[in-house]
Amino acid sequence: MVSITLDNVTKRFGKVIAVNEASFKVNDGEFWVLLGPSGSGKTTLLYLISGIYKPTSGRIYFDDVDVTDMPPSERNVGLVFQNYALYPHMTVYENIAFPLRIQKRPQNEIEKKVREIAKMLHIENLLDRYPAQLSGGQQQRVALARALVKEPSVLLLDEPLSNLDALLRLYIRAELKRLQKDLGITAIYVTHDQMEAMAIADRIVVISHGKVQQIGSPEEIYNFPRNVFVATFVGTPPSNVIRGELTSDGIISLKSGYLRVEPEASKSLRGSGLSEVLIAFRPEHIKLSREPIEAPGLILQGTVYAIEPLGRETLVTIVSGEDVIKCVLSNGESIKVGDELFVHVEREKIRLYHPETEELIAY
Amino acid sequence: MAEKVTYKDVETISKFRINVIIGLALLFISLPIIINYAVLFISSFSNKMLSGMTVHEIKFTLENWRMFFSGRLSTTQAVLRNFWDIIRYIFNTLVVGLGVSAVVTLTSMMSGYAFSRMKFKGRKFLMQFLILLHAFPGVALIIAVYTMYIAFKLSVPEHYLKMYSFTYVVFARAALEVPMSIWIMKGFFDRIPWEVEWSALVDGASRVYVWRRIILPLVKPGIATVAIFSFLAGWEDLIYVRTFLPITEKTLATYIEGLLSEGSLEIVHLPAVAAAGTFYLLPTILFFIFARSYMLQTSMSGVKM
Repeated sequence: MVSITLDNVTKRFGKVIAVNEASFKVNDGEFWVLLGPSGSGKTTLLYLISGIYKPTSGRIYFDDVDVTDMPPSERNVGLVFQNYALYPHMTVYENIAFPLRIQKRPQNEIEKKVREIAKMLHIENLLDRYPAQLSGGQQQRVALARALVKEPSVLLLDEPLSNLDALLRLYIRAELKRLQKDLGITAIYVTHDQMEAMAIADRIVVISHGKVQQIGSPEEIYNFPRNVFVATFVGTPPSNVIRGELTSDGIISLKSGYLRVEPEASKSLRGSGLSEVLIAFRPEHIKLSREPIEAPGLILQGTVYAIEPLGRETLVTIVSGEDVIKCVLSNGESIKVGDELFVHVEREKIRLYHPETEELIAY
Repeated sequence: MAEKVTYKDVETISKFRINVIIGLALLFISLPIIINYAVLFISSFSNKMLSGMTVHEIKFTLENWRMFFSGRLSTTQAVLRNFWDIIRYIFNTLVVGLGVSAVVTLTSMMSGYAFSRMKFKGRKFLMQFLILLHAFPGVALIIAVYTMYIAFKLSVPEHYLKMYSFTYVVFARAALEVPMSIWIMKGFFDRIPWEVEWSALVDGASRVYVWRRIILPLVKPGIATVAIFSFLAGWEDLIYVRTFLPITEKTLATYIEGLLSEGSLEIVHLPAVAAAGTFYLLPTILFFIFARSYMLQTSMSGVKM
């Protein structure tokens, strides 16, 4: 149970920069998720923490101990690989016992610990089987048992659920979170599934192209994304992003609508030399109406292009000028394709971004 | 008037029929080899060769085998050797065979792993060079190899000469097998995913421990393949043992060859030669039967690939 500190960690493979100056601190007992698309460097970051890779520059600390030069065997970490990496020629029992055998623990202690962890993960009846004889979910639990049996200070998981079917994923996701809380073990979890990340994380690190985009709790990431990437990566469907022109004080104009902001905000925006902004808002914060609306916030006019009923909610695609807007409504029964509607988003739900750097400006 | 053509799905052909057809095809292909072995084997127990013109006169006899073990291959040859000599020749052949097998297997196991897993300067070049090495037939190199043999021999004390020549034969013959064996082993090591090794490293194992306990069991088919083929190379070898071993230390190959040239091909008793040949073949067949189960093992589950 340790805290993990990364201090300006960079990893290069030849000319490719896989991880670019990552710095953050995971407190003892927290469940952090490294979230990003494929190839973003999140698995590399995980391997750096585990010791399989050595950073090109930067330091890594477990509590106050500098572990940057320590091999993985001395760091006391448990690692669960995406493809489980079970030893095919050993039984489940021997797989789980392997880390303890290397530590040369006495035989009866090994037996006790293996049975304990097998019981905790509900695989005690599989101990004599070979990995080839197990289902995906069972293999994953054996991999988890093998990582946990040596009571590591850190638990690292590399997309452990990606090879399981959707229903099993939901079930085990909750189990994992519960297990981590019960054991109080510091855990870092890698995934590209943003819903999974939101569901289980205490804090999320959003990564893209090797660079950390934002670190925060799921609520922070979701409601206050620091840049356009985070806004559009997290959330299903992602945030709508449209471009608006800064005109007279208080108004940002769009092709088929406008956004009214505070005069002071508009003045400071123009003052920083901007003529355009990116406006982002989440699909579920949209209100639709057949009548024109007069209210603070974003007002757009558009035509319904497509309707997708999803049972619990309805996904409506609206074309407004050149922009395509997606809305999520809980009661979209009365809407039909071709309807002319007005779109309204409250001012508090709008996020503005710089048109070039795509960073959050004002809300 | 067009005829209606019906196409049958492959799955509708009965499995039994397919198996019968495949079985017959395999039998047909292997028939020449089976017939050859059968002729050899049966001839060793009869007084006339099965392939000869007088095939209708054959009678069962163990005389050929008695002749083989007493060192004669023709009925008029004098008994020049005793039973224990033959045993010694068999032992020598075993030494060469097992020696080559050991050297090749050990070398290719470790080199194959290095080529598969480690980055070092000249790795790519060396791999290509290995293929080139394999292209050289051992016989073409014999003069150079012999020159080296003589050169080193001068510094070997008298009573170690026998050990020297055996060691030299084993290493020289092994050197011819090593390039291909390294390629085979590298191929097997390549098939093991990185994560299995890393997992063991994170669990606290040293690299050597991982190599011994995790990697090697997973490449057992490769090791078996390399071990068998290099053993056979050593066991069957004639040119190298003839060149390097002292005349008193014969192997089965040189023994048979010696008998045939001592006597003369016209008066040699062919069924006795058949007995010698059958005996020489025996370990080959036995080894294959024994190691077949290892070679066919390919269990790689527990890892998604």
